[in-house]
Amino acid sequence: MYLIIQPMHERLSFYVKRDSPLHHLNPLTKLTLVLGLVLISFLSPWYWTPHILLVIAIFPLSLVGRVGREFLRTFLRLILPAASFLFFMQAFFQPIGDQVIFKLWFLDITQESLLFAFRNAMRIIVMVSSFTLFLLTTHPSELMSDLTRRGLPPQFAYVIISTLQILPQMQAKAQTIIAAQRSRGLDTQSSFLRRAGSLFPLIGPLVFGSLVEVEERAIAIEARGFTSTRVKTSLYEIPDTNLDTALRWTFIALVIITIVLKLWLS
Amino acid sequence: MAIVNLQNITYKYPLTDAPALQNMDLQVNEGEFVAIIGPNGAGKSTLCYTLAGFVPHFFKGELTGVVEVAGVESHNSSLSEWVSNVGLAFQNPFNQISGAKYTVFEELAFGLENTGVPRDEMKARVEDAMQLTGISDLAERSPYSLSGGQQQRVALTSILVMQPKVLVLDEPTSQMDPIGTREVFGVIHRMAERGMTVILAEHKVEWIAQFADRVIALKDGQILLDGTPSKVLTSPILPANGFGISRYTSAARKAQAMGLWKKDGLPVTLDEAVEGFSNEGAE
Repeated sequence: MYLIIQPMHERLSFYVKRDSPLHHLNPLTKLTLVLGLVLISFLSPWYWTPHILLVIAIFPLSLVGRVGREFLRTFLRLILPAASFLFFMQAFFQPIGDQVIFKLWFLDITQESLLFAFRNAMRIIVMVSSFTLFLLTTHPSELMSDLTRRGLPPQFAYVIISTLQILPQMQAKAQTIIAAQRSRGLDTQSSFLRRAGSLFPLIGPLVFGSLVEVEERAIAIEARGFTSTRVKTSLYEIPDTNLDTALRWTFIALVIITIVLKLWLS
Repeated sequence: MAIVNLQNITYKYPLTDAPALQNMDLQVNEGEFVAIIGPNGAGKSTLCYTLAGFVPHFFKGELTGVVEVAGVESHNSSLSEWVSNVGLAFQNPFNQISGAKYTVFEELAFGLENTGVPRDEMKARVEDAMQLTGISDLAERSPYSLSGGQQQRVALTSILVMQPKVLVLDEPTSQMDPIGTREVFGVIHRMAERGMTVILAEHKVEWIAQFADRVIALKDGQILLDGTPSKVLTSPILPANGFGISRYTSAARKAQAMGLWKKDGLPVTLDEAVEGFSNEGAE
Protein backbone atom coordinates (compact mmCIF):
# COMPACT_ATOMS: atom_id res chain seq x y z
CA MET A 1 0.00 0.00 0.00
CA TYR A 2 1.17 3.46 -0.83
CA LEU A 3 0.09 5.00 2.44
CA ILE A 4 2.43 7.66 3.80
CA ILE A 5 5.54 5.88 4.95
CA GLN A 6 8.05 8.63 5.30
CA PRO A 7 11.43 8.96 6.92
CA MET A 8 11.46 11.35 9.87
CA HIS A 9 13.47 14.09 8.19
CA GLU A 10 10.92 14.43 5.43
CA ARG A 11 7.97 14.78 7.73
CA LEU A 12 6.11 18.05 7.55
CA SER A 13 3.22 17.18 9.82
CA PHE A 14 2.68 15.81 13.32
CA TYR A 15 1.27 12.61 11.91
CA VAL A 16 2.77 9.37 13.17
CA LYS A 17 2.00 6.31 11.08
CA ARG A 18 0.81 3.47 13.32
CA ASP A 19 -1.69 0.72 13.05
CA SER A 20 -4.24 1.49 15.76
CA PRO A 21 -8.01 1.69 16.23
CA LEU A 22 -7.69 5.46 16.47
CA HIS A 23 -5.84 5.64 13.14
CA HIS A 24 -8.60 3.58 11.53
CA LEU A 25 -11.36 5.93 12.61
CA ASN A 26 -12.79 8.33 10.07
CA PRO A 27 -11.13 11.76 10.30
CA LEU A 28 -14.47 13.49 10.80
CA THR A 29 -15.23 11.15 13.70
CA LYS A 30 -11.97 12.12 15.35
CA LEU A 31 -12.67 15.77 14.71
CA THR A 32 -16.11 15.41 16.29
CA LEU A 33 -14.52 13.64 19.25
CA VAL A 34 -12.01 16.44 19.74
CA LEU A 35 -14.55 19.22 19.44
CA GLY A 36 -16.87 17.26 21.74
CA LEU A 37 -14.18 16.93 24.44
CA VAL A 38 -13.36 20.61 24.17
CA LEU A 39 -16.96 21.77 24.34
CA ILE A 40 -17.81 19.47 27.23
CA SER A 41 -14.79 20.59 29.26
CA PHE A 42 -15.64 24.24 28.67
CA LEU A 43 -19.41 24.03 29.15
CA SER A 44 -19.77 21.44 31.87
CA PRO A 45 -21.32 22.86 35.05
CA TRP A 46 -19.08 20.62 37.26
CA TYR A 47 -15.73 21.85 38.38
CA TRP A 48 -13.81 18.62 37.91
CA THR A 49 -14.99 17.72 34.40
CA PRO A 50 -11.84 18.77 32.49
CA HIS A 51 -9.60 17.00 35.02
CA ILE A 52 -11.61 13.83 34.75
CA LEU A 53 -11.70 13.97 30.95
CA LEU A 54 -7.94 14.23 30.85
CA VAL A 55 -7.51 11.16 33.03
CA ILE A 56 -10.29 8.92 31.76
CA ALA A 57 -10.37 9.96 28.09
CA ILE A 58 -7.30 11.69 26.72
CA PHE A 59 -4.45 9.73 28.30
CA PRO A 60 -6.10 6.34 27.65
CA LEU A 61 -6.86 7.43 24.05
CA SER A 62 -3.20 8.23 23.46
CA LEU A 63 -2.45 4.62 24.43
CA VAL A 64 -5.28 3.25 22.26
CA GLY A 65 -3.82 5.28 19.38
CA ARG A 66 -0.36 3.82 20.13
CA VAL A 67 1.15 7.28 20.18
CA GLY A 68 1.60 7.37 23.98
CA ARG A 69 5.29 8.26 23.84
CA GLU A 70 4.91 11.03 21.24
CA PHE A 71 1.89 12.40 23.05
CA LEU A 72 3.62 12.43 26.43
CA ARG A 73 6.63 14.17 24.93
CA THR A 74 4.45 16.97 23.47
CA PHE A 75 2.48 17.11 26.70
CA LEU A 76 5.52 17.58 28.95
CA ARG A 77 7.51 19.85 26.66
CA LEU A 78 4.81 22.07 25.26
CA ILE A 79 1.35 21.75 26.77
CA LEU A 80 2.26 21.55 30.45
CA PRO A 81 4.68 24.54 30.47
CA ALA A 82 2.22 26.71 28.54
CA ALA A 83 -0.67 25.76 30.81
CA SER A 84 1.44 26.36 33.94
CA PHE A 85 2.31 29.83 32.73
CA LEU A 86 -1.38 30.49 32.15
CA PHE A 87 -2.18 29.15 35.61
CA PHE A 88 0.24 31.50 37.40
CA MET A 89 -0.80 34.53 35.40
CA GLN A 90 -4.44 33.96 36.20
CA ALA A 91 -3.87 33.02 39.83
CA PHE A 92 -1.92 36.22 40.49
CA PHE A 93 -3.85 38.73 38.50
CA GLN A 94 -7.45 37.60 38.91
CA PRO A 95 -9.03 39.99 41.42
CA ILE A 96 -11.78 37.70 42.66
CA GLY A 97 -12.72 36.34 46.06
CA ASP A 98 -11.69 37.47 49.53
CA GLN A 99 -10.25 34.34 51.16
CA VAL A 100 -6.64 35.42 50.93
CA ILE A 101 -4.31 32.46 51.23
CA PHE A 102 -1.09 34.39 50.98
CA LYS A 103 0.28 37.76 49.92
CA LEU A 104 3.15 38.36 47.57
CA TRP A 105 4.21 42.00 47.60
CA PHE A 106 1.04 43.74 46.37
CA LEU A 107 -0.55 40.56 44.98
CA ASP A 108 -3.24 38.72 46.89
CA ILE A 109 -3.64 35.07 46.15
CA THR A 110 -7.16 34.00 47.02
CA GLN A 111 -8.64 30.55 47.11
CA GLU A 112 -11.11 31.58 44.42
CA SER A 113 -8.47 32.81 42.03
CA LEU A 114 -6.47 29.63 42.52
CA LEU A 115 -9.46 27.44 41.74
CA PHE A 116 -10.42 29.62 38.80
CA ALA A 117 -6.93 29.52 37.33
CA PHE A 118 -6.62 25.79 37.87
CA ARG A 119 -9.82 25.05 36.00
CA ASN A 120 -8.96 27.34 33.11
CA ALA A 121 -5.51 25.80 32.79
CA MET A 122 -7.10 22.35 32.77
CA ARG A 123 -9.54 23.39 30.06
CA ILE A 124 -6.69 24.62 27.92
CA ILE A 125 -4.80 21.40 28.57
CA VAL A 126 -7.81 19.35 27.47
CA MET A 127 -8.20 21.45 24.35
CA VAL A 128 -4.59 21.39 23.23
CA SER A 129 -4.07 17.74 24.21
CA SER A 130 -7.04 16.50 22.29
CA PHE A 131 -5.99 18.45 19.19
CA THR A 132 -2.47 17.08 19.55
CA LEU A 133 -3.88 13.58 19.73
CA PHE A 134 -5.95 14.30 16.63
CA LEU A 135 -2.94 15.58 14.66
CA LEU A 136 -0.80 12.65 15.77
CA THR A 137 -3.27 10.08 14.49
CA THR A 138 -4.77 11.78 11.42
CA HIS A 139 -2.96 12.32 8.15
CA PRO A 140 -3.68 15.84 6.85
CA SER A 141 -4.41 14.73 3.29
CA GLU A 142 -6.76 12.07 4.57
CA LEU A 143 -8.62 14.65 6.65
CA MET A 144 -8.88 17.02 3.69
CA SER A 145 -10.01 14.42 1.16
CA ASP A 146 -12.65 13.28 3.61
CA LEU A 147 -13.90 16.81 4.24
CA THR A 148 -13.82 17.57 0.50
CA ARG A 149 -15.87 14.44 -0.13
CA ARG A 150 -18.42 15.78 2.36
CA GLY A 151 -18.70 19.10 0.60
CA LEU A 152 -15.82 21.28 1.79
CA PRO A 153 -14.72 23.37 -1.24
CA PRO A 154 -11.51 21.82 -2.65
CA GLN A 155 -9.96 25.29 -2.90
CA PHE A 156 -10.31 25.65 0.86
CA ALA A 157 -8.75 22.26 1.52
CA TYR A 158 -5.95 23.10 -0.90
CA VAL A 159 -5.12 26.35 0.87
CA ILE A 160 -4.88 24.60 4.25
CA ILE A 161 -2.71 21.72 3.10
CA SER A 162 -0.43 23.69 0.83
CA THR A 163 0.19 26.30 3.52
CA LEU A 164 1.33 23.56 5.87
CA GLN A 165 3.70 22.29 3.21
CA ILE A 166 4.93 25.55 1.77
CA LEU A 167 5.76 27.30 5.05
CA PRO A 168 9.01 25.38 5.61
CA GLN A 169 9.92 26.09 1.97
CA MET A 170 9.34 29.82 2.43
CA GLN A 171 11.41 29.74 5.58
CA ALA A 172 14.27 28.18 3.65
CA LYS A 173 13.89 30.81 0.95
CA ALA A 174 13.97 33.63 3.52
CA GLN A 175 17.21 32.17 4.85
CA THR A 176 18.69 32.19 1.33
CA ILE A 177 17.68 35.80 0.78
CA ILE A 178 19.12 36.83 4.16
CA ALA A 179 22.38 35.09 3.34
CA ALA A 180 22.47 36.77 -0.09
CA GLN A 181 21.82 40.23 1.38
CA ARG A 182 24.34 39.72 4.17
CA SER A 183 27.00 38.77 1.68
CA ARG A 184 26.39 42.20 0.19
CA GLY A 185 26.87 43.88 3.53
CA LEU A 186 23.39 43.91 5.06
CA ASP A 187 23.55 44.22 8.84
CA THR A 188 21.41 41.60 10.53
CA GLN A 189 23.22 41.22 13.81
CA SER A 190 23.40 44.57 15.58
CA SER A 191 20.77 46.51 17.58
CA PHE A 192 17.10 45.65 17.40
CA LEU A 193 16.07 48.80 15.53
CA ARG A 194 18.78 48.36 12.97
CA ARG A 195 17.75 44.79 12.44
CA ALA A 196 14.10 45.74 12.13
CA GLY A 197 15.12 48.27 9.48
CA SER A 198 17.18 45.72 7.65
CA LEU A 199 14.15 43.48 7.29
CA PHE A 200 12.78 45.68 4.52
CA PRO A 201 15.19 44.61 1.80
CA LEU A 202 14.23 41.01 2.61
CA ILE A 203 10.50 41.48 2.33
CA GLY A 204 10.57 42.63 -1.30
CA PRO A 205 12.23 39.58 -2.81
CA LEU A 206 10.32 37.20 -0.54
CA VAL A 207 6.87 38.64 -1.16
CA PHE A 208 7.19 39.47 -4.85
CA GLY A 209 8.98 36.22 -5.50
CA SER A 210 6.12 34.41 -3.80
CA LEU A 211 3.52 36.23 -5.89
CA VAL A 212 5.22 35.09 -9.11
CA GLU A 213 5.31 31.60 -7.69
CA VAL A 214 1.63 31.72 -6.92
CA GLU A 215 0.84 32.36 -10.57
CA GLU A 216 3.04 29.51 -11.71
CA ARG A 217 1.59 27.17 -9.14
CA ALA A 218 -1.91 28.17 -10.22
CA ILE A 219 -0.97 27.22 -13.79
CA ALA A 220 0.54 23.96 -12.60
CA ILE A 221 -2.52 22.79 -10.68
CA GLU A 222 -4.82 24.12 -13.39
CA ALA A 223 -2.87 21.98 -15.87
CA ARG A 224 -3.87 19.03 -13.73
CA GLY A 225 -7.55 19.71 -13.85
CA PHE A 226 -7.96 21.36 -10.45
CA THR A 227 -11.05 23.27 -11.54
CA SER A 228 -12.53 20.33 -13.42
CA THR A 229 -16.26 20.09 -12.91
CA ARG A 230 -16.20 16.31 -12.82
CA VAL A 231 -16.83 14.61 -9.48
CA LYS A 232 -13.46 14.21 -7.78
CA THR A 233 -12.20 10.83 -6.64
CA SER A 234 -9.66 10.02 -3.94
CA LEU A 235 -6.53 7.87 -4.05
CA TYR A 236 -7.18 6.55 -0.57
CA GLU A 237 -10.22 4.80 0.61
CA ILE A 238 -11.16 6.60 3.79
CA PRO A 239 -12.88 4.36 6.34
CA ASP A 240 -16.35 5.35 7.49
CA THR A 241 -18.02 2.53 9.39
CA ASN A 242 -21.15 2.20 11.49
CA LEU A 243 -18.93 2.62 14.53
CA ASP A 244 -17.92 6.03 13.17
CA THR A 245 -21.50 7.13 12.76
CA ALA A 246 -22.39 5.85 16.24
CA LEU A 247 -19.44 7.63 17.84
CA ARG A 248 -20.24 10.88 16.12
CA TRP A 249 -23.86 10.86 17.25
CA THR A 250 -22.87 9.83 20.78
CA PHE A 251 -20.57 12.81 21.08
CA ILE A 252 -23.07 15.22 19.62
CA ALA A 253 -25.61 13.89 22.16
CA LEU A 254 -23.11 14.27 25.03
CA VAL A 255 -22.45 17.88 24.05
CA ILE A 256 -26.17 18.61 23.90
CA ILE A 257 -26.68 16.99 27.32
CA THR A 258 -23.86 19.11 28.74
CA ILE A 259 -25.41 22.28 27.38
CA VAL A 260 -28.83 21.36 28.73
CA LEU A 261 -27.38 20.57 32.18
CA LYS A 262 -25.45 23.81 32.16
CA LEU A 263 -28.59 25.83 31.37
CA TRP A 264 -30.68 23.85 33.80
CA LEU A 265 -28.27 24.07 36.74
CA SER A 266 -27.41 27.73 36.37
CA MET B 1 -2.91 14.42 -39.99
CA ALA B 2 -2.50 17.70 -38.15
CA ILE B 3 -3.37 17.33 -34.48
CA VAL B 4 -2.44 20.93 -33.72
CA ASN B 5 -3.75 23.64 -35.97
CA LEU B 6 -3.13 27.35 -35.43
CA GLN B 7 -4.56 29.74 -37.99
CA ASN B 8 -3.67 33.39 -38.10
CA ILE B 9 -3.16 33.73 -34.36
CA THR B 10 -2.61 37.17 -32.89
CA TYR B 11 -2.49 37.63 -29.13
CA LYS B 12 -1.95 40.58 -26.82
CA TYR B 13 -1.47 40.25 -23.07
CA PRO B 14 -3.73 42.50 -21.01
CA LEU B 15 -2.33 46.04 -20.55
CA THR B 16 0.23 45.71 -23.33
CA ASP B 17 0.31 47.30 -26.79
CA ALA B 18 2.66 45.03 -28.70
CA PRO B 19 1.23 41.64 -29.61
CA ALA B 20 3.13 38.67 -28.14
CA LEU B 21 2.13 36.52 -31.14
CA GLN B 22 1.41 37.92 -34.60
CA ASN B 23 -0.45 36.32 -37.51
CA MET B 24 0.95 32.93 -36.69
CA ASP B 25 0.09 29.81 -38.66
CA LEU B 26 1.27 26.46 -37.40
CA GLN B 27 0.33 22.87 -38.12
CA VAL B 28 1.80 19.98 -36.16
CA ASN B 29 1.20 16.39 -37.19
CA GLU B 30 0.33 13.61 -34.81
CA GLY B 31 3.50 12.02 -33.40
CA GLU B 32 5.74 14.86 -34.48
CA PHE B 33 8.46 16.23 -32.17
CA VAL B 34 8.68 19.97 -32.75
CA ALA B 35 11.24 22.17 -31.04
CA ILE B 36 10.72 25.92 -30.71
CA ILE B 37 13.74 28.17 -30.38
CA GLY B 38 14.00 31.91 -30.03
CA PRO B 39 15.60 34.68 -28.01
CA ASN B 40 13.96 35.85 -24.78
CA GLY B 41 10.72 37.68 -25.48
CA ALA B 42 10.25 36.00 -28.86
CA GLY B 43 6.95 34.47 -27.76
CA LYS B 44 8.00 30.92 -26.94
CA SER B 45 6.22 30.81 -23.60
CA THR B 46 3.17 32.58 -24.98
CA LEU B 47 2.96 30.03 -27.80
CA CYS B 48 3.19 27.23 -25.23
CA TYR B 49 0.46 28.83 -23.10
CA THR B 50 -1.72 29.24 -26.19
CA LEU B 51 -1.33 25.59 -27.15
CA ALA B 52 -2.04 24.52 -23.58
CA GLY B 53 -5.19 26.68 -23.38
CA PHE B 54 -3.89 29.12 -20.74
CA VAL B 55 -4.12 31.81 -23.39
CA PRO B 56 -6.87 32.97 -23.38
CA HIS B 57 -8.57 31.04 -20.56
CA PHE B 58 -6.10 31.95 -17.80
CA PHE B 59 -4.25 35.04 -18.99
CA LYS B 60 -7.26 36.75 -20.57
CA GLY B 61 -6.10 39.36 -23.08
CA GLU B 62 -7.08 39.49 -26.70
CA LEU B 63 -6.75 36.39 -28.88
CA THR B 64 -7.85 36.31 -32.52
CA GLY B 65 -7.56 33.43 -34.95
CA VAL B 66 -8.21 29.71 -34.58
CA VAL B 67 -6.54 27.41 -32.04
CA GLU B 68 -7.51 23.81 -32.65
CA VAL B 69 -6.14 20.68 -30.99
CA ALA B 70 -7.50 17.22 -31.78
CA GLY B 71 -10.42 18.79 -33.60
CA VAL B 72 -11.58 20.94 -30.66
CA GLU B 73 -11.47 24.71 -30.83
CA SER B 74 -9.96 26.50 -27.84
CA HIS B 75 -12.64 29.19 -27.70
CA ASN B 76 -15.37 26.56 -27.38
CA SER B 77 -13.69 24.63 -24.60
CA SER B 78 -13.08 25.19 -20.91
CA LEU B 79 -9.56 25.08 -19.53
CA SER B 80 -10.23 22.02 -17.43
CA GLU B 81 -11.48 20.10 -20.49
CA TRP B 82 -8.64 21.40 -22.63
CA VAL B 83 -5.91 20.18 -20.28
CA SER B 84 -7.03 16.59 -20.75
CA ASN B 85 -5.93 16.92 -24.41
CA VAL B 86 -2.86 19.07 -23.96
CA GLY B 87 -0.41 18.65 -21.08
CA LEU B 88 1.88 21.51 -20.04
CA ALA B 89 5.11 21.40 -18.05
CA PHE B 90 7.39 24.37 -17.55
CA GLN B 91 10.69 25.67 -16.20
CA ASN B 92 10.65 25.73 -12.46
CA PRO B 93 10.12 22.22 -11.13
CA PHE B 94 9.54 23.48 -7.60
CA ASN B 95 6.51 25.54 -8.62
CA GLN B 96 4.96 22.62 -10.43
CA ILE B 97 4.68 20.56 -7.26
CA SER B 98 1.07 20.95 -6.15
CA GLY B 99 2.00 21.42 -2.50
CA ALA B 100 -1.13 19.54 -1.53
CA LYS B 101 0.46 16.10 -1.35
CA TYR B 102 2.95 14.41 0.91
CA THR B 103 4.40 11.71 -1.35
CA VAL B 104 5.34 11.51 -5.02
CA PHE B 105 2.72 8.83 -5.55
CA GLU B 106 -0.02 11.08 -4.15
CA GLU B 107 1.37 13.99 -6.15
CA LEU B 108 1.04 12.00 -9.37
CA ALA B 109 -2.49 10.96 -8.48
CA PHE B 110 -3.54 14.59 -7.88
CA GLY B 111 -4.58 15.28 -11.48
CA LEU B 112 -6.44 11.99 -11.69
CA GLU B 113 -8.33 12.71 -8.47
CA ASN B 114 -9.32 16.09 -9.88
CA THR B 115 -10.65 14.59 -13.09
CA GLY B 116 -12.54 11.85 -11.32
CA VAL B 117 -10.60 8.74 -12.38
CA PRO B 118 -11.70 5.66 -10.38
CA ARG B 119 -9.26 4.50 -7.70
CA ASP B 120 -8.06 1.23 -9.27
CA GLU B 121 -7.43 2.82 -12.63
CA MET B 122 -5.72 5.73 -10.88
CA LYS B 123 -3.21 3.46 -9.14
CA ALA B 124 -2.51 1.50 -12.31
CA ARG B 125 -1.95 4.65 -14.35
CA VAL B 126 0.35 6.22 -11.75
CA GLU B 127 2.41 3.03 -11.55
CA ASP B 128 2.69 2.77 -15.35
CA ALA B 129 3.70 6.39 -15.70
CA MET B 130 6.34 6.09 -12.99
CA GLN B 131 7.77 3.05 -14.72
CA LEU B 132 7.90 4.95 -17.99
CA THR B 133 9.78 7.93 -16.58
CA GLY B 134 11.95 5.83 -14.29
CA ILE B 135 10.86 7.31 -10.97
CA SER B 136 9.24 4.25 -9.37
CA ASP B 137 11.83 4.33 -6.61
CA LEU B 138 10.72 7.83 -5.59
CA ALA B 139 7.08 6.86 -4.97
CA GLU B 140 7.18 7.23 -1.18
CA ARG B 141 9.47 10.27 -1.02
CA SER B 142 8.23 13.77 -0.29
CA PRO B 143 8.18 15.74 -3.56
CA TYR B 144 10.02 18.54 -1.76
CA SER B 145 12.97 16.38 -0.77
CA LEU B 146 13.96 15.61 -4.38
CA SER B 147 16.69 17.10 -6.55
CA GLY B 148 15.76 19.50 -9.36
CA GLY B 149 16.07 16.82 -12.04
CA GLN B 150 13.97 14.39 -10.03
CA GLN B 151 11.36 17.06 -9.32
CA GLN B 152 11.15 17.93 -12.99
CA ARG B 153 10.66 14.26 -13.88
CA VAL B 154 7.90 14.10 -11.26
CA ALA B 155 6.32 17.20 -12.83
CA LEU B 156 6.52 15.60 -16.30
CA THR B 157 5.09 12.34 -14.99
CA SER B 158 2.25 14.18 -13.28
CA ILE B 159 1.26 15.50 -16.72
CA LEU B 160 1.87 12.22 -18.59
CA VAL B 161 -0.30 10.30 -16.17
CA MET B 162 -3.24 12.35 -17.43
CA GLN B 163 -2.61 10.86 -20.89
CA PRO B 164 -2.72 14.03 -22.98
CA LYS B 165 -2.64 13.79 -26.76
CA VAL B 166 -0.11 16.61 -27.04
CA LEU B 167 2.72 17.36 -24.63
CA VAL B 168 3.79 21.02 -24.44
CA LEU B 169 7.05 21.77 -22.62
CA ASP B 170 8.24 25.28 -21.88
CA GLU B 171 12.01 25.19 -21.30
CA PRO B 172 11.81 22.21 -18.96
CA THR B 173 15.58 21.97 -18.53
CA SER B 174 16.50 25.64 -18.17
CA GLN B 175 17.04 25.27 -14.42
CA MET B 176 18.66 21.86 -14.61
CA ASP B 177 22.31 20.92 -14.25
CA PRO B 178 23.76 18.68 -17.00
CA ILE B 179 22.66 15.50 -15.21
CA GLY B 180 19.14 16.81 -14.68
CA THR B 181 19.01 17.90 -18.33
CA ARG B 182 20.00 14.44 -19.50
CA GLU B 183 17.38 12.81 -17.26
CA VAL B 184 14.62 15.09 -18.50
CA PHE B 185 15.57 14.78 -22.16
CA GLY B 186 15.66 11.02 -21.70
CA VAL B 187 12.01 11.10 -20.63
CA ILE B 188 10.97 13.48 -23.44
CA HIS B 189 12.73 11.29 -26.02
CA ARG B 190 11.01 8.17 -24.73
CA MET B 191 7.61 9.89 -24.94
CA ALA B 192 8.29 11.01 -28.50
CA GLU B 193 9.38 7.51 -29.48
CA ARG B 194 6.11 6.13 -28.16
CA GLY B 195 4.34 8.33 -30.66
CA MET B 196 3.29 11.24 -28.49
CA THR B 197 3.14 14.64 -30.12
CA VAL B 198 5.73 16.81 -28.38
CA ILE B 199 6.14 20.57 -28.65
CA LEU B 200 9.21 21.76 -26.81
CA ALA B 201 10.46 25.33 -26.29
CA GLU B 202 14.15 25.01 -25.55
CA HIS B 203 17.50 26.78 -25.77
CA LYS B 204 19.76 23.75 -25.75
CA VAL B 205 20.22 23.33 -29.51
CA GLU B 206 22.56 20.37 -29.28
CA TRP B 207 19.86 18.34 -27.54
CA ILE B 208 17.24 19.56 -30.02
CA ALA B 209 19.43 18.50 -32.95
CA GLN B 210 19.61 14.99 -31.54
CA PHE B 211 15.92 14.41 -30.92
CA ALA B 212 13.57 16.82 -32.69
CA ASP B 213 11.91 16.11 -36.07
CA ARG B 214 11.38 19.74 -36.80
CA VAL B 215 12.56 23.12 -35.50
CA ILE B 216 10.69 26.39 -35.51
CA ALA B 217 12.58 29.65 -34.92
CA LEU B 218 10.48 32.45 -33.38
CA LYS B 219 11.29 36.13 -33.42
CA ASP B 220 9.03 38.94 -32.20
CA GLY B 221 5.99 36.71 -32.11
CA GLN B 222 6.43 35.48 -35.67
CA ILE B 223 7.83 32.36 -37.26
CA LEU B 224 11.22 33.12 -38.79
CA LEU B 225 12.25 29.66 -39.88
CA ASP B 226 10.55 26.27 -39.97
CA GLY B 227 12.25 23.07 -41.08
CA THR B 228 14.45 20.12 -40.17
CA PRO B 229 16.95 20.61 -37.32
CA SER B 230 20.01 20.38 -39.58
CA LYS B 231 18.59 23.05 -41.86
CA VAL B 232 17.20 25.52 -39.31
CA LEU B 233 19.90 25.23 -36.67
CA THR B 234 22.73 25.89 -39.14
CA SER B 235 21.02 28.76 -40.95
CA PRO B 236 23.08 31.96 -41.05
CA ILE B 237 19.89 33.88 -40.26
CA LEU B 238 19.94 32.66 -36.65
CA PRO B 239 23.08 34.33 -35.26
CA ALA B 240 22.18 37.53 -37.11
CA ASN B 241 18.90 37.63 -35.16
CA GLY B 242 20.26 36.99 -31.70
CA PHE B 243 19.60 33.25 -31.48
CA GLY B 244 21.95 31.03 -29.55
CA ILE B 245 23.50 28.47 -31.86
CA SER B 246 25.54 25.33 -31.33
CA ARG B 247 29.22 25.91 -30.66
CA TYR B 248 29.97 23.16 -33.21
CA THR B 249 28.10 25.14 -35.87
CA SER B 250 29.98 28.34 -35.09
CA ALA B 251 33.32 26.51 -35.05
CA ALA B 252 32.61 24.91 -38.41
CA ARG B 253 31.41 28.22 -39.85
CA LYS B 254 34.70 29.85 -38.90
CA ALA B 255 36.56 26.90 -40.34
CA GLN B 256 34.49 27.24 -43.51
CA ALA B 257 35.49 30.91 -43.86
CA MET B 258 39.11 29.84 -43.62
CA GLY B 259 38.53 27.10 -46.17
CA LEU B 260 38.97 24.29 -43.65
CA TRP B 261 35.38 22.97 -43.75
CA LYS B 262 34.58 21.62 -47.18
CA LYS B 263 31.33 19.73 -46.55
CA ASP B 264 28.08 21.30 -47.75
CA GLY B 265 26.06 21.46 -44.55
CA LEU B 266 27.30 22.69 -41.16
CA PRO B 267 27.24 20.43 -38.09
CA VAL B 268 25.06 20.94 -35.01
CA THR B 269 26.21 18.12 -32.76
CA LEU B 270 29.63 16.99 -31.62
CA ASP B 271 29.39 13.79 -33.67
CA GLU B 272 28.61 15.65 -36.89
CA ALA B 273 31.48 18.05 -36.27
CA VAL B 274 33.94 15.26 -35.55
CA GLU B 275 32.80 13.40 -38.65
CA GLY B 276 33.07 16.49 -40.87
CA PHE B 277 36.51 17.47 -39.65
CA SER B 278 37.92 13.94 -39.80
CA ASN B 279 36.72 13.53 -43.40
CA GLU B 280 38.65 16.68 -44.25
CA GLY B 281 41.71 15.17 -42.66
CA ALA B 282 41.32 11.93 -44.60
CA GLU B 283 41.23 13.56 -48.00
